[in-house]
Amino acid sequence: MDGFEGRPDPNALLADIQTQQDNHSGKLKIFFGYAAGVGKTYAMLDDAQEQCRMGKDVLVGYVEPHTRPETLQLLQGLPSLAPKSVFYRNIELKEFDLDEALRRKPELILVDELAHTNAEGVRNLKRFQDIEELLNAGIDVYTTVNVQHIESLNDVIEGITSVQVKETVPDYIFDRAEKVKLIDIEPDELLRRFEDGKIYKPERAQTAMNHFFTRENLKLLREIAMRKAADRISNENQNERRTTEKMANTKMLVCIGPSPSSAKCIRWTARAAEAFHAQWVALYVDSTDSDYLTSQQQKILRGNMNLAEKLGAEIVSLTGHEIAVSVSEYAKLSGITNIVVGKSRNKKTLKNLFDIDFEDKLISLLPNIEVYIIPGATARRDYKKPRKTTWKGKVEFSWIDCAKTAALLVAATLVSLGLRKVGIGDQNIIMTYILSVLVISRITKGHIFGIIASVASVLSFNFFFTKPMYTFNAIQAGYPITFLIMLLVALITSTLTVRIKTQAKLAVQRERRTEVLYEINKKLLVTRGLENIISLTNVYIVNLFERSVVFFPSDPEAGTNGSVMQADGDTDEAVLNSKDEKAVAHWVFVNQKWAGSGTDTLMEAAGLYMPVIAQGKVLAVLGISCVKGFLGHNTRQFLRMIASQVAMALERQNLSDEQRSIIVEAEKEKMRSNLLRAIAHDLRTPLSGILGASSAIRENSKTLDESTRDKLNADIQEEAQWLIRMVENLLSVTRINEGESKVNKNPEAAEEVVAEAVSRIRKRFPHHKVEVSVPDELLEVPMDGTLIAQVLINLLENAVKHSAVTSPVEIILKRTEDAAIFEVIDHGKGIVDEDFPYLFISYVPNGTKSSDSSRGMGIGLSICMTIIKAHNGTMEAANRKEGGAVFKFTLPLERSE
Amino acid sequence: MIKPTILVIEDEEAICNFITAILNSNGYQVIKTGTGKEGVSMAASYSPDVILLDLGLPDIDGVEILKSIRKWSKIPVVVVSARGHEREKVEALDLGADDYIVKPFGTSELLARIRTALRHSPQSMGGQIQGAEKTTVGELQVDYEKRSVSLAGKAVHLTPVEYKILALLSKNAGKVLTHDYIMKEVWGLYAGDSHTLRVNMANIRRKIEENPGAPKFILTEMGVGYRMVEEL
Repeated sequence: MDGFEGRPDPNALLADIQTQQDNHSGKLKIFFGYAAGVGKTYAMLDDAQEQCRMGKDVLVGYVEPHTRPETLQLLQGLPSLAPKSVFYRNIELKEFDLDEALRRKPELILVDELAHTNAEGVRNLKRFQDIEELLNAGIDVYTTVNVQHIESLNDVIEGITSVQVKETVPDYIFDRAEKVKLIDIEPDELLRRFEDGKIYKPERAQTAMNHFFTRENLKLLREIAMRKAADRISNENQNERRTTEKMANTKMLVCIGPSPSSAKCIRWTARAAEAFHAQWVALYVDSTDSDYLTSQQQKILRGNMNLAEKLGAEIVSLTGHEIAVSVSEYAKLSGITNIVVGKSRNKKTLKNLFDIDFEDKLISLLPNIEVYIIPGATARRDYKKPRKTTWKGKVEFSWIDCAKTAALLVAATLVSLGLRKVGIGDQNIIMTYILSVLVISRITKGHIFGIIASVASVLSFNFFFTKPMYTFNAIQAGYPITFLIMLLVALITSTLTVRIKTQAKLAVQRERRTEVLYEINKKLLVTRGLENIISLTNVYIVNLFERSVVFFPSDPEAGTNGSVMQADGDTDEAVLNSKDEKAVAHWVFVNQKWAGSGTDTLMEAAGLYMPVIAQGKVLAVLGISCVKGFLGHNTRQFLRMIASQVAMALERQNLSDEQRSIIVEAEKEKMRSNLLRAIAHDLRTPLSGILGASSAIRENSKTLDESTRDKLNADIQEEAQWLIRMVENLLSVTRINEGESKVNKNPEAAEEVVAEAVSRIRKRFPHHKVEVSVPDELLEVPMDGTLIAQVLINLLENAVKHSAVTSPVEIILKRTEDAAIFEVIDHGKGIVDEDFPYLFISYVPNGTKSSDSSRGMGIGLSICMTIIKAHNGTMEAANRKEGGAVFKFTLPLERSE
Repeated sequence: MIKPTILVIEDEEAICNFITAILNSNGYQVIKTGTGKEGVSMAASYSPDVILLDLGLPDIDGVEILKSIRKWSKIPVVVVSARGHEREKVEALDLGADDYIVKPFGTSELLARIRTALRHSPQSMGGQIQGAEKTTVGELQVDYEKRSVSLAGKAVHLTPVEYKILALLSKNAGKVLTHDYIMKEVWGLYAGDSHTLRVNMANIRRKIEENPGAPKFILTEMGVGYRMVEEL
């Protein structure tokens, strides 16, 4: 049967799904060694040759050009990709050509040196990102890496070899590999190769030998590499059995800060968490006391956070005035079992003599939690420990505060003078001054006015109230102490005040964020429609961050523009919807990762782009302009939260769209089958008439008299005509676009359409009178002329059939402000009340009405309704007071939907 | 008098049969074929007076047949097409078809089209002077010499553009003229959109028709163009 052809074969579907899954991700094989020269590239090429022989489509993506000749020989017979030349500061650099590789899409690609850092100007910062893209594109990848490049082992190796390796690969890449092949040779053998100059050219060999290629180093490296490989195996085994239960038991927390030694703690925690199969959190406490970080420190902090994120930590940043308290509060609330802190040996100075150490405090606050202390890096001290206290924000000089200070001091002096007059003692005067200092510290900004006030108080006390009067000579022995106390009061008060103020400000800020998130959530919950979700999101982001934002609800590769909302003084639509920016958004769409300004991928972009993901599918890409500068970690975190809210909203929207389309589809299906049933029934009657009449004529040609034959012929003609009209009606429905119920609208002169319908009716019913009335002005209406003519013909035919030959049928065309009105009026019996509900439905539910009597007019009217609806018009029927019925429909005049 | 020859190129036998029956009984000679290829060669060898061409043929697209015939001959061609295929009709008319008839059609409609086509054929035009002085349809008279139009003896005041349109239609009375053709003839190269034509047509109708909603002189061919009737 025809109907089943379009139906997909379940097996084919299954195969489709499988290929899709296959497509989803390529497999990674890492050739893992402990030092250069162990033969990773050789092993990789050897394996590739084998695969090639087995008929796999192998492509050599990139092999280091300084590879050994024996290894290079293995390249023979393998197709390879020409490296891309990148010019950086007039030096030509050869890089792996990712785009070409993606275009060629081999089954297996070989890319040497996983840890390589790409030259500037290439899309990704690191080669492992290139490889991730390849894997995501469904290409299998062979690559090589040495143990010292593994991120979490980086510091361990640095400790052993005292060579710092800058090029690192995050552990998850290593874990992602399906196969890891450990390439191993005896260190002695390696050293021999090395001495033969097989690994480095002689001039480089010497330096390498001194630093790196010592037997002890190599032995240790070998051990670490083997252990890493062994860990992988034990992990695999463990994963099978114990899974979540173990993870729930341990949760680690590492305290990080703007110090390079934090990185060591992070790596240590990552390794430990890995070993325990535990979740871990990297916590940064932004101390209100510590004020502002230098840009150098900020950079280090950001680097630490990124590192932690790369190694799989959850990043949390808190604000608190005492770090230990904040950490313990957080640990208690989120069920942390182990805490890792870094500690560098403090010199005992007078200042910290009485301070309790951070870790002591922590232990006293959290007696049940294990605390690990990682000694800080002492080898290098390339960062300045002392916080450069920026006075910005403290020395905010304002005339109002100045006036307040002066007024209070004057008031205090006056009160004191008064007190002296009354003869109440000096101590009260001092109290008055202390009070004034306290008040001044409280109501002014920063420390400065408090200090000024205390100095001024002391001076004025000295001037007015100590003997000798009206001089600054303090004779009495106690005054310096008074002076000191006042100063201390001022300092303590103002410090406290400042702290409270900052905390209040931070609390408000945090409160505001929570509030905004809640508000967004609430608003998104009630928002329906993609457009509304987008505009709501854009408005919030612009208001929150004061940056321009772009929202791509679909993959921008096709060239569709995103919805842009411009913030004051930021980039506009032209930039955010430019081809380059769209390419970044497209990348984000495909790779499900952040990209753009401030990330490692496509960092030249003007904006930062993040995917809005739900259930592993990118629903949209949100871009935010970074022309004003990079986004901070907090902002990103906040954006991420917003994105997840948006993802939920979008997903809900998608689901409801889907559901609606299913309902519509079902409704349509129902309508279609009803229509089909009604038509089949209606067609049968005239066809049996034609068949009967024609066979009667043919078979009884002798016996039939002239008039009977004529009568039969006339019947055939009439039935055939009816059939043709019926078919034409049905054909007209097919002109309405499937699915969308939209029609091709062109402006037509309404009177011409009316005239067409009238002339056809007149031809068919020459004895009936049809009266036409059109307005004096030409009325042009956007419509599908053929369809509207069909509607008019149906209505007129209906009207003619329901009225006597003598009574005229009227057709009236009018216009209102924004619509054209067509009325077809007859002077017949009118419509029976019980017919009203079913007038425009093709299918009468209980079948009370015989279709023979109406002769499918039901179908005719329902088709009219369909056509008018597709034109966004309205249609109604009514009985007239004067008798007869009126069918009226309107068509909108504007072209707009 | 020699019977005019009609070449019917139509692949549906039933339709072909009834067309032949009608034409034969009305004094025409009919030659028929079911394929386009044969149709083209028959058009060349028989040189018929009118060709009735179905646009939906199994072997060649009807439009292609029309093109190849028009390369060497001006034999009137009446195109047969289904309702709803307006674009196809307009294309055929623009390529030189003289008229069209919509399936399903009745006897009288077919005969009227054939008559009009014969009247406009080059042979019959030979006797008539191309530039007739006037055209009269019912009470409407268009005088080309005086450039005037009268209805029941009373002068009708038309703008120059309106007159141009009316004159064009009346000179081709009985034939359908496509929107594009009219616009090109009246406005030349700078023909605008069909809106202007519709406005002018509405004005002409307001001036010459009793009821513009049921015109008698100028009929609308939906989606195709306009046709002035030859007689009322």
